[in-house]
Amino acid sequence: MLTEKRNWGWHVLLILIVMAIMLPVLFMISNSFKTLQESYHAILQLIPAKPTFSNYLTLNKQINLLRMVSNTFLMAMIVTLGKVATGLLAAYAFQNFHFKGKRLVYFIFVATIFVPFTTVMIPNYLVIAKMNLLNNVIGVALPQMADATGIMLFIKAMGKIPASLTESAKVDGIPNRKIFMNLIIPLLKPSIISVGAIFFINSWNEYVWPTLVLKDKSSFTLPLALQNYISSEGGTNFPLAMALAVIMIVPPLLIYMIFQRYILNSISTSGLK
Amino acid sequence: MANTGFSIELAKMSKSYNQKNNVIDKMDLSIVPGEFLVLLGPSGCGKSTTLRLIAGLEAPTGGKVLINGKDASKMNAIQRSIAMVFQDYALYPNMTVYQNLEYALRVHKVPKQVRQQRLTAILASLNLSNYKDRYPSQLSGGQKQRVALGRGMAKKSQIFLLDEPLSNIDVQLREKARDEIQKLHEQNGQTIIYVTHDQQEAMALGDRIAVMNNGKIQMIDTPENLYHNPTNLFVAQFVGTPQINVFKANYFNHQLLDESGAVIANLTAYQDDGLQEDTDYLVGIRPENVQLTTDATKGDFQVEIESIVDYGRYKQLTLKVFDRLEIKAVVSDWQRHGNQAVYAKLTSKAILLFDARTHERIQPSRKLEPVLE
Repeated sequence: MLTEKRNWGWHVLLILIVMAIMLPVLFMISNSFKTLQESYHAILQLIPAKPTFSNYLTLNKQINLLRMVSNTFLMAMIVTLGKVATGLLAAYAFQNFHFKGKRLVYFIFVATIFVPFTTVMIPNYLVIAKMNLLNNVIGVALPQMADATGIMLFIKAMGKIPASLTESAKVDGIPNRKIFMNLIIPLLKPSIISVGAIFFINSWNEYVWPTLVLKDKSSFTLPLALQNYISSEGGTNFPLAMALAVIMIVPPLLIYMIFQRYILNSISTSGLK
Repeated sequence: MANTGFSIELAKMSKSYNQKNNVIDKMDLSIVPGEFLVLLGPSGCGKSTTLRLIAGLEAPTGGKVLINGKDASKMNAIQRSIAMVFQDYALYPNMTVYQNLEYALRVHKVPKQVRQQRLTAILASLNLSNYKDRYPSQLSGGQKQRVALGRGMAKKSQIFLLDEPLSNIDVQLREKARDEIQKLHEQNGQTIIYVTHDQQEAMALGDRIAVMNNGKIQMIDTPENLYHNPTNLFVAQFVGTPQINVFKANYFNHQLLDESGAVIANLTAYQDDGLQEDTDYLVGIRPENVQLTTDATKGDFQVEIESIVDYGRYKQLTLKVFDRLEIKAVVSDWQRHGNQAVYAKLTSKAILLFDARTHERIQPSRKLEPVLE
């Protein structure tokens, strides 16, 4: 009896939280299927009176959706692969190699986490501009190919692999490259997937840095395109913006659904948000 | 199949992690090809570190490791020809039993047919044939241990290092696993270094045993000598169960006297040699050399029986002596004799004497046959 009562209390709380989270999402989805007129007088109504697909069609006419999705995907993919690859390699080195100044290097790496983005934004921009990579998603991705958070997470994950595994392989004369590929990577698969998914979603949603690098509309990623539909002069076409937002959340949502098991596990064990 | 094994020599090998104190202190050790050497010691004595230094997992901070007469620090893993079994087995969780055994061979490009032939034989000899496609997580402790052993065997190395390989399996399985390791040594003739803190395991396996404490080898000898002729108190106490009885006694006029003045034992001329009159020594006597009797002769002393533990094959008695000391005796049989007084007699020739300060054994210098009383 007692436990049942307590469960009820938790459930009510959980339902409230889920509603608070889901409401804006439902709001977005429902408004993307309303006409502009309907959104004006019944913006809060969750079920559209006359659902219409017209916003999506208009979007498709106004902007090159496919190109933007692929721009965003390409950028997020490069960033994710870059961060995961450099993170794994650096973590392996920190875990397995003894070299002078290791602690210092590690300290410097971790310190980069505390450097605000705004301070490196301008230098990065200048470098990318000099490299002629403005208006190119490569230019967006390049400065983000390594990430101290990833290194830290991978070091932590590798720390859970017993040292005797790599030591045993070393006694057997297995080269580091093989230990890394044949043992570490397969054993870290859950971490790689979860950290990779988090990197991907973050990069997919990224806004400030891409706005600096990408000026040409053809090079836009989805968040930049979305900003175009939210005009500061009051002329916002909400249903249109909501339709684009729906398109934008689909890939991260899919990734989240597919890798949910890994991501939840990694969040609960790493304390990462 | 037979290897000759490599010799291993440690020359003043030291290891320090903080540049202040040595975990291993100027260790000298030479192991002949094909020898089965056991490193025995309490946890933290440096025995595992010694093994890791030989394996090349760590580099000595002083001295040298010589394998097959050559400086190991200039050799690669293949030249060293070492296989190692870890305490936690270190099986690769992402590979099946067969793949675990095969992996190093595959990386070193041993032809597939050779691999298959060799591994099939090893798996069969370890009763693992039916488990070759299982993953380590699907195996029991004993099976994992055998897979680890098999992986070491697959390499056909000249040296086999085992780091407490049996400490994680059930006692019942341990003896069987011990036999397997012994068989393996007989068949393959590799040089084996086996690390353990279990003295019974050490006695059962080793050609020689090196007893370690505080980063130093206390004594290195055959199990028999270790037991009967320990060079210091540490070795005497570490080897043998139940532990050797140790108490303080004064030497005076060919006799050992308790603090109360009672005679504990009469010494033979053989043992007398080199002792100083009226000096305190530590007396060590193994429990099986404490005999019990109901009629006392000279040199026997009265004891009070505190408890008797019956192990079936033998009985272990805890005795109170002079209302102060507690000593243990192991006898094959003992019946209570009502309220009759019980006396203990120490087998005089089995008495070991240690310097009260340095704890070093006082070795009889004359090689006389001990005179039986």
